[in-house]
Amino acid sequence: MEAIANDFTINIATANGTGSQSANLILLQSIFDMGVPASGKNLFPSNISGLPTWYIVRLSDMGYQAPGDRNHIQVLVNPATWDEDLASLEPGSVVIWNENAKKEMTREDVVSYPIPMSALARKINPKIAKLVTNIIYVGALAEVLGIDQEVLEASVAKQFKGKDTAIELNITALGLGRDYFRENLEKKDPYTIEARERKSKQFFIDGNEAVALGSHFGGVQMLAWYPITPSSSIAEGIIAWSPKLRTDEEGSTNCSIIQAEDELAAAGMVLGAGWAGGRGMTATSGPGISLMQEFIGLGYFAEIPSVFWDVTRVGPSTGLPTRTQQSDIAMLYEGSHGDTQHIVLIPGTVEECFEFGWRIFDYAERYQTPVFGMSDLDLGMNRWACNGFEYPSEPMDRGKVVRDQKTFDAFEDFGRYLDVDGDGIPYRTLPGSGMAPILYRGTGHNTKGVYSEKPEDYLALMTRLKNKIEGARDNLPAPILREEKECEIGIIYLGSMENTIQEIDDLLESTGLKVSQCRIRALPAHSEIVNFVERHEHTIILEINRDGQLYGILRKELPNNLVSRVHSVAYSDGMPPRARIYADRILAKLEEVNQ
Amino acid sequence: MSDKPERPARAVKLNVINEPKDSYTGGKSSLCPGCGHDQVSNVIVTAAWESGIEPHRIAKMSGIGCSSKTPAYYLGKSHGFNTVHGRMPSVTTGAYAVNKDLLYIGVSGDGDSASIGIGQLIHAIRRNMDMVYIIENNGVYGLTKGQYSATADIGSKKKKGPINKTQPIDLCALAINLGCTFVARSFSGSKKQLNSLIKAAMSHKGFALIDVISPCVTFNNNDESMKSYGYVKENEITLHMADYIPHFNPITEVEVPEGHYRDITLHDGSTIRLETISEEHDPADAVAALTALHNAESDAKHVTGLLYFDNTKASLAEDLGLIEKALIDVPDEELRPSQSVLDEINSAFMG
Repeated sequence: MEAIANDFTINIATANGTGSQSANLILLQSIFDMGVPASGKNLFPSNISGLPTWYIVRLSDMGYQAPGDRNHIQVLVNPATWDEDLASLEPGSVVIWNENAKKEMTREDVVSYPIPMSALARKINPKIAKLVTNIIYVGALAEVLGIDQEVLEASVAKQFKGKDTAIELNITALGLGRDYFRENLEKKDPYTIEARERKSKQFFIDGNEAVALGSHFGGVQMLAWYPITPSSSIAEGIIAWSPKLRTDEEGSTNCSIIQAEDELAAAGMVLGAGWAGGRGMTATSGPGISLMQEFIGLGYFAEIPSVFWDVTRVGPSTGLPTRTQQSDIAMLYEGSHGDTQHIVLIPGTVEECFEFGWRIFDYAERYQTPVFGMSDLDLGMNRWACNGFEYPSEPMDRGKVVRDQKTFDAFEDFGRYLDVDGDGIPYRTLPGSGMAPILYRGTGHNTKGVYSEKPEDYLALMTRLKNKIEGARDNLPAPILREEKECEIGIIYLGSMENTIQEIDDLLESTGLKVSQCRIRALPAHSEIVNFVERHEHTIILEINRDGQLYGILRKELPNNLVSRVHSVAYSDGMPPRARIYADRILAKLEEVNQ
Repeated sequence: MSDKPERPARAVKLNVINEPKDSYTGGKSSLCPGCGHDQVSNVIVTAAWESGIEPHRIAKMSGIGCSSKTPAYYLGKSHGFNTVHGRMPSVTTGAYAVNKDLLYIGVSGDGDSASIGIGQLIHAIRRNMDMVYIIENNGVYGLTKGQYSATADIGSKKKKGPINKTQPIDLCALAINLGCTFVARSFSGSKKQLNSLIKAAMSHKGFALIDVISPCVTFNNNDESMKSYGYVKENEITLHMADYIPHFNPITEVEVPEGHYRDITLHDGSTIRLETISEEHDPADAVAALTALHNAESDAKHVTGLLYFDNTKASLAEDLGLIEKALIDVPDEELRPSQSVLDEINSAFMG
């Protein structure tokens, strides 16, 4: 039997609320620390305790991070999904299963490793046997796959930092799992983990914590939030880092944190902070953005710097709250009633989550408008390899704020909404300054901010707002291009699809199709996008949703002669993107186009 | 940064910071002639002027509706924000969170505060945010032409339409139950009382709610209405005479009352003196305040005065644990942690 090293997928089926998350993270961290490219995806229910949860670990020397097409190793702990999980396996798969789960092994065409996980766990401490059971399978997996004991113990120490009793208990449990396999079973499968030399130092972090850190390095002064999956950990990250990063010796802070009564209030607070001259933000998910629509329109029309992070999940409505999707693109870009257009930053990596986390405030203040960060559950809540965060390369951009009387006096005729520089961005004075006070309003207004229903005032205002956001296009993060020379097919994609695109690309290449990649990182789309479409005979707009929302936006904005050259491939079933599904659909679309 | 004028040749009356009253006025009102709200606006102007607050240190906030249009008609030297319907409290909270040094005066209506925005009002009270929150309460939606609001009294009838049969929401009772630290009711026709209450509210640290019955002359000022001028004048029960004695001039020409009085010292050192009219009311007694409201409602009356006061609670700024300085005055370099801090974080993560 030929060994298969570092190229397989492990699926672990447990119930949530049983401590399986820490066990799984120890496994993932250990594989990562052996230098093997690995990714972990947590498929969890919208529930606190007792419902099925799967954790998928993909090991890939190629660096593929999508869940892959099939499971090679199945860990069965949860009786509730046992039969289904077992039935879905391909012949030859490995099954590590809990002998004490009161379920049978009904497949004869798999490699079966029965382990009395519950009994072993009870040996350590019957009271917490349920929690310990999970560590037992990590120990068994370590023995099966060849994970170093030292690495494993270091991961345990990292996971339970400072909690000596927990560390000791977990190490003992790991040993029991490992020993049981060694003493009672024989390895009959080909899967192994081989240590690799990693070129640069890396660590694991989820996108939400990266956004939280980025926000602090952007000098956030007010966070208003309302709990919602999958965004809560941005706010909780900001709260957790606040004592270290934003608090003085006396314990006083320069960052206000308010848990709002709902998302409407959170949005109102963000606008209030921006109006007063501070850096305010909120973090939410699609349902929250739906509730914030009215304030988003006010922010656009009254021109209030404001920052909104949307960690998207599966909609519509409550949808699948704990699953990933890119389906808020249209809502963010054209949010609120009336003609609007908003700046949207779309990170695709944890490094970008950090970078956009601080940059977003600069854009909001420079353009005096709501700016959205669009992450998603996959990027935000799963852990990804990170090369380290780079310190902000430029000082804060506080935008066109008149802060002293001398500057103010230099204006010939000051108007809050007067386009002095021809870029559509007016100057503002702050409450408390005493300079040019106005009553900000969501009603129609002239260049002085005074109520007006005059057609010429309304038209001028709407035209200037259009020009202002239009002017942002090429100042926003440019797309990332990976282009093949003289290639006919281009793929435009966004966000967390970054983690699957290379595998899609390789799958396409295996059929003889070479494609160029273009990852869009902001809306309104950079002019480079037009050039990319122009350089390719056909361009696929690839996204994780049903309707092709990005496709809709680009179709509307591309020059007429290019519209027929872009095609939509949009798919979402709630699962993290699997490369083969998208690759097949791209091929089908191209076939359709070529007919 | 107010431009204090030289003392003009003609004797214009100036306040304690040498500002004429003109520094506190606003644009011309576009409300219906005789609207109660215009009287409230005038009292706000007078109260702010008499209290000697620098106009630019005031922020005037509002939601949507007739009442919420009024910030355009007073305090023209103050920044303001006419936000969205019922959501002024949250916008004020955000502004306050980054600049706690401004005096926030919010004006709202009964549609704004008792219906669409009742949740935000409740939570602003709960946070005890420092602000003056004036409700111009007329029992109807004026700007949409006279539908009943949630404060319309049972048995009251507006100009057009049936008698109201739905239980009203008493915002003062609600606020007292929520532990609001300053709760008053007044009447736009009682300028002196309203003036004292607004000044006291401006001197208060915490959330100060003043529910002002402010008749709608167009849709709800008929004889059958319980929020008409005539009805309120005849059916007002005044808890006490209220006099405000500013901290900067403690011996103003306040007449020493013949009967009993109670002095309440406010956060800035000013005093509100409550002179007993018939029965003594203790504003520290929430049950007494609720009883007064309940009795008035049973008798189809309106009780006015300082219903409830509590100066023992921490305000939002204290609860947030903020630094002394307003956050908007913190230099950028202090807001952004240093390179070495990030280096430290990176290496800690690398393990």
